[in-house]
Amino acid sequence: MRKSLIILLLVLPVTILSQNLFTQLSYADSLFKNKNYFDAITEYKRLMFFDNSKSFSFITNFNIAKCYKAGGKYEEAIKYFSKAELSTDNSAQKYRAKIEIVKVNLLRKTTDRALQILNEIERTEEFNQLKDSINYWKGWVYIFKDEWKLAKSYFDKVEKGHTLSKISSNVLKEKYSVTFAKLISYIVPGSGQFYTGNILSGLMSMAYNMIFGYLTVKAFSEDRFFDGALIGSLLWLRFYRGNIQNAEKFAIEKNIAISNNALKFLQYEYKGDKP
Amino acid sequence: MTQFPTIYLTVNKLRLISKNPYFNLLKKPFYKILFFLLIMFSSVKPQISNINSPDNRLKFANYLFNEKDYLRALNEYKEYLKQNQNDTAYFKYAESFLRIGRFEEAAENFKSLFFNSSLEDEAKLEFFKAHFLIGLNSKNFSYFRNLFSKEVYSTTKYYKEIKRLTLISHFFDNSALPDTNEFFSTFDDSNYVSIKNFYLIKKSPKYKNPNKAGILSAILPGLGKIYSGKISDGITSFITTCLFTFFSIDNFKHNHHFRGWLFAGLSAITYAGNIYGSIASTHIYNARLKNDFNNKIKYYFEERNFLLPNIEFVNR
Repeated sequence: MRKSLIILLLVLPVTILSQNLFTQLSYADSLFKNKNYFDAITEYKRLMFFDNSKSFSFITNFNIAKCYKAGGKYEEAIKYFSKAELSTDNSAQKYRAKIEIVKVNLLRKTTDRALQILNEIERTEEFNQLKDSINYWKGWVYIFKDEWKLAKSYFDKVEKGHTLSKISSNVLKEKYSVTFAKLISYIVPGSGQFYTGNILSGLMSMAYNMIFGYLTVKAFSEDRFFDGALIGSLLWLRFYRGNIQNAEKFAIEKNIAISNNALKFLQYEYKGDKP
Repeated sequence: MTQFPTIYLTVNKLRLISKNPYFNLLKKPFYKILFFLLIMFSSVKPQISNINSPDNRLKFANYLFNEKDYLRALNEYKEYLKQNQNDTAYFKYAESFLRIGRFEEAAENFKSLFFNSSLEDEAKLEFFKAHFLIGLNSKNFSYFRNLFSKEVYSTTKYYKEIKRLTLISHFFDNSALPDTNEFFSTFDDSNYVSIKNFYLIKKSPKYKNPNKAGILSAILPGLGKIYSGKISDGITSFITTCLFTFFSIDNFKHNHHFRGWLFAGLSAITYAGNIYGSIASTHIYNARLKNDFNNKIKYYFEERNFLLPNIEFVNR
């Protein structure tokens, strides 16, 4: 009885002391869960300010960053993820923060920075066990860099036949070759547009080139060199160049559309870890 | 959140102990120390027990303010001011509005510090700054200048600074610049050279005359363009116009009437287009000159906080 009384009395003030901060944390967490990010950040900051022992430092910084990320404020998010990373000695937590920074970098399209961070992580001995996870995120970096072949190779390293690897190879199959489109347009004007599926524009290109080509040849064959040179240089060459550029433009446009569709699919349908 | 009042708890603990048969134990040294420790523990609590207490709220608000998170800071100040009177907190509350660009609200809140407050002069200074910035955004300083002439808002402490602000405002709109003597007397030596420069440019900007450019281009195609600073454009138009004219004359000479007329038409179009282009390009040149100048003065004054003094206690 005596012992239990003493223990109780000793523990009571300490528990009340930290209980406040715990209540604060759960309050902030509930705001975060309800997607009330602005107030959640305020409450997390309040917790951080009164947490003299810094025992909540990681969780508060990490969650503030998450709120900022959810609100699309990527600069702030990165700032607080970095603070979270610095506030902890736990290697798992460090890794979590680093990967979050990579993800935010992907979202704000600074893929080079994301890759740089991943390479740094790879070089750190501490994270040697996490090769799979690093490769997985490298794959994502290359998706955002629109280099699906490299993305596929990294997902294959994680696991043969990974869902994302399949998606990447599908995208690769669907994509048009820009060089091929240009090349066939050099040989037969309009064929590049046929290749990318823009039939009407291909027909127009073909017709223009045929008419002006015919007129140029006709002028030269009738010894009207001036007319021939004029039509040839100003009209025929113009449409010939235009046809090649047009084919290139269509191929690039279609490729962007394909990538965007794939990204949209990943955003809404893919269930795994994503930025 | 339910909070236990600390004193209540401590008293309760004492009562509990006194009723307890073990109370006598307190006479033994070990238990005396233990009891003392307990009291000490309890006394740590109040500082942190209620993190939403007014004092803590104010501390937190100041922390947010220093972290430049003004939007959150002003919410905290607002909560604090609901129950407490504190001019410094109120000033910072208004200042938060100013710093996130909500100038109207800032001005309104500074106004309430004009009477019975030790921060009256500072509040007036910031009030004028807020109205200046409203003017800067809407490019209309008439209301701001009007305020300066009103007796109620005048302050002896910052009279010179606010006067200077009204003079600076003349750089940002199309109003007539005040007399040089009046203008330069309020500026310090360190800014004198730049300000003088700005004054001269503002007073007589080096604009180019569109009509002159048009006439020049009519006399010699491309000359107007060269006048407006586009030398390569000028040379190109000169060559094209000459070439088309030559083709036209040459074709007429060889009795190719259709081609002659064709090139004559082309030549006429380039000639007329060149005149129009020269006039347009002087307009563009003038607009760019004006824009560059405006950006330059804006940058100059913004970097120096519009030559206003920093208020000490705000940044503490």
